[in-house]
Formats: sequence, structure tokens, C-alpha cells
Amino acid sequence: MKGGLRALLRLYYVQAAWNYERMLGIGMGHAAVPLLEELRTLDPSRHAEAVARSADYFNANPNLAGLALGALARAEHDHVPGAAVSRLRTALSGPLGALGDRLFWAGIVPALSALALAAVALGAGWWAALGLVVVYGVIRALTARWALATGWAEGLQVGAAIGKSWVPRSAERAGVVAGFCVGLAIPLAATWLLRGAGREPALMAPAVALAGLTLSRLVGPHHTALRFGVGVLVLGLLAGVLGA
Amino acid sequence: MTALVLAGLLTWGVVVALDLVSGPQALLARPVVAGTVAGLIAGDLEAGLRVGMLLEMFALDVLPVGASRYPDYGPATVAAVAVVAGLPWQERLGLAMLLALPLAFVGGLAMQWLRHANARAMQDRVAAVAAADRRAIAALHYGGLLRDGLRGAALTGLGLAVAVPLRGLALPPHVATLLLAGAVGSGLAAVMNGALRSTGRGTRARWLVAGLGLGGVLAVASGAWR
Repeated sequence: MKGGLRALLRLYYVQAAWNYERMLGIGMGHAAVPLLEELRTLDPSRHAEAVARSADYFNANPNLAGLALGALARAEHDHVPGAAVSRLRTALSGPLGALGDRLFWAGIVPALSALALAAVALGAGWWAALGLVVVYGVIRALTARWALATGWAEGLQVGAAIGKSWVPRSAERAGVVAGFCVGLAIPLAATWLLRGAGREPALMAPAVALAGLTLSRLVGPHHTALRFGVGVLVLGLLAGVLGA
Repeated sequence: MTALVLAGLLTWGVVVALDLVSGPQALLARPVVAGTVAGLIAGDLEAGLRVGMLLEMFALDVLPVGASRYPDYGPATVAAVAVVAGLPWQERLGLAMLLALPLAFVGGLAMQWLRHANARAMQDRVAAVAAADRRAIAALHYGGLLRDGLRGAALTGLGLAVAVPLRGLALPPHVATLLLAGAVGSGLAAVMNGALRSTGRGTRARWLVAGLGLGGVLAVASGAWR
């Protein structure tokens, strides 16, 4: 796979031109350029078609976008008809989005972030942040490398390869691990934040949390933590100033 | 707070704003990371850790998927650290959240603006992209990065512009206490709400409860509750 390293590096910025029309499309086009470079001399007309196609609409979790990038570039090199390449692109969008979001945004990221919170509460200091960035960086680099290599090796068969891979199983397990880690972090973070704050905040904060949870159960998806937080702080400020 | 520290915080704010979506998405934008580094820049690691931990609890309620709009806690964390650094955190943490939470909301709105601006830029070059002009694709890509960097600079600059005068504001102790309790309480509500929503019932819920139990035991054993 010529241009693989450059494509891999460009995948780290695949969402730079994210927009509501083509979503990741432009970023995918930018990352595909090194992989399609060889076609430029071998088959210039195919190269032009392939570059234009590579920047079409596409959406997926950025961490798994390499699977599609590799498979689509391989299909262009294999002279698969353009319509079939476009169909593959469309077909990969949904599954790579759903799987990647479950694996990373609902699994690995909250799990590691929660572990970092627990580590801070247990006295790790800035090592907690460093550990979070390093561990995630390693997971992400290995995933990106595997994704691009698998996409390139499998080409049109990439869908079946994803189904048999570690990704679907890990996506399921990652959510369970995230639940445990977030649970672990909550009491540690709460006690650490309130330590040294005095008796009143330690008594009031759980009551505020309970009110927020109750409100979210009653109001449903319209309630957001951000709005609740701002509301509570404004009320606290008003109560404090008026009660002075 | 010196001009050098403010410049360092502004630069870091741009980096974390870029990291959220544009890249490299290395989790630098997570409040626990953004706050720690901002604390080191400002010379008060504990302030950075406390701000980062509290805002991380809000961030754990967010699922940043696809085209949804979500708060940008990175620049907000950096600005909040500027409110607390070098001062007693018990008096400043609640006030810092009063700046950070609305700023995170504005950051989410700014993200929407960015996505529309990227779409407009693409419309201007749609013919060149269709003609496989690689320079047009690269220009769109780096143009998006530049716009996001400017978004980060504007957000962090706005946050720091508010944070600096807030540092001089003397809050009565009972107001600071109310704000601190409200901030920690709503952070707790956020993280628990996010955890309950994503675990639902069944196996995941059981593991959440197991985590809560172990966390409680560790909190007692480590003396963090004292």
C-alpha cells in the first residue's frame, strides 16, 4: 500500500472540514490522495474519477474511517466500476458510524476518562491526564493502523471482514466496562471535590444532585445537565445576594 | 496573572478547541486533560485538577456523535482555571463554573457555525472538487482547520477576558458556598444521569452498581471523604 503512512496521518484530521452536506467527505478525499497517487501515472483518467469520488458524502466514526478509506482506495486500484465503489461507500457509512460510536464515544472514552478521574482522586495528580492521553493514543494508533490495513487487504469484502473482526464484540464489552469505570469514579470524584470545602457544601451538593436526577427523569430528553447546572448556579447566586 | 500566562492559556485553548473535532482528537479536549495542563501553565496544578474534574463530570453526560450539537468544554475549562488559579479554590470553583458552563454552550453554538461555514466554503469550490482538483480539496481541508482554530481563539479569548476581572471579584463566603455546592451537585447529577442513560438495565446496570460500590469503598479507604 503506497502512501499508507501519509494517509494514516491525515486520518487524524479527517474531520477538519466536517460540514452538514458531505460530513467527513472532504477529509476522506484529502486522506485518499496519497493512496490514489499511484493511479495518477498508471491510469490518469481513473485517477481523476477516483479523486473526485473520494471527496463525496461520507460519514463514520473517525476512528474506524480507515476501514472505508483502505477498502475504497483498493477498489479504485482494482478497477471496480465507479457505481460499485460509490455503493460500497454508502453501505459502510452507517455500520462504521454505529460501531465506532459505541466502541469509542460510549465505551473507551468514558471508561478511560472516568479512570483518570478516579486516579486524580486517589492522588495521581497530573499523571492521570498523561496516562489518559497516552493509553488512548496507543489504542487509537493501533486501531487506525489495523483499520487502514484491513480495508486495503479486503477491498469490496471489507463488510464481511468487519463482521468477523474484534470490533463488534469489543463495542458491546466497552459499554459494560465504561459503566463500571464511571460508577467507580463517581464516589471518588465527589468526595475528592468536596474534601476541604466545609460541612455545608458537603450536605447541599448531594441534595442538588438528587434534584437534578429527579428533574431529568421527569422532564426527559429536554433536560440537559448544562442547563440544569447554569440554572442552579444562577439561583444560588441570586439566593446568596438577596439573602445577604 | 501575567501576560505570558494568559498567552499560554490562549494557545492551549486553541489546541483543545481543535482537538475536540478537527484533530488530532487525542482527548486533549477532555476537561480532566485540558484543566491539568491549564493548571500547570497557570502555576496552580490543584486548581487545574479541581476544575478539570468537575467539568469532566459534565462532559461524561455528553455523547459527541455525528451531527448532534454538544457543548465544547475545552476552552471553557481553560477559562475556568484562569478564575481559580492562585486563589482559594473553595471560594472560586463555583464562580468559575458560572463562566465555564455558559461558555461551553456558546462553544457548541460556534461549532454549528463552523459546520455551516465549512459547507459554504465547499459550495464555492464544488466544481473544482468534482473536477478532481487536489489543491481545492486540500484548501477546503486546511480552511476548515483554520476556521476551527479561530473559533477556539475567540472562545478562549472571550473566556479569559471575563475570567481576569472575575479574579478580582470578592464573593461573600455564603455565596461562594452556595455556588460551590450547586456546581458540585449539578456535576454529580450530570455524570449520574449520563451513566444511567447509557447503561439502561440488565448487565450494564449491574456493572455500574458494582463500580459505585467499589468506588465508595475506595473513597472511604483512601480517606478522600475526610
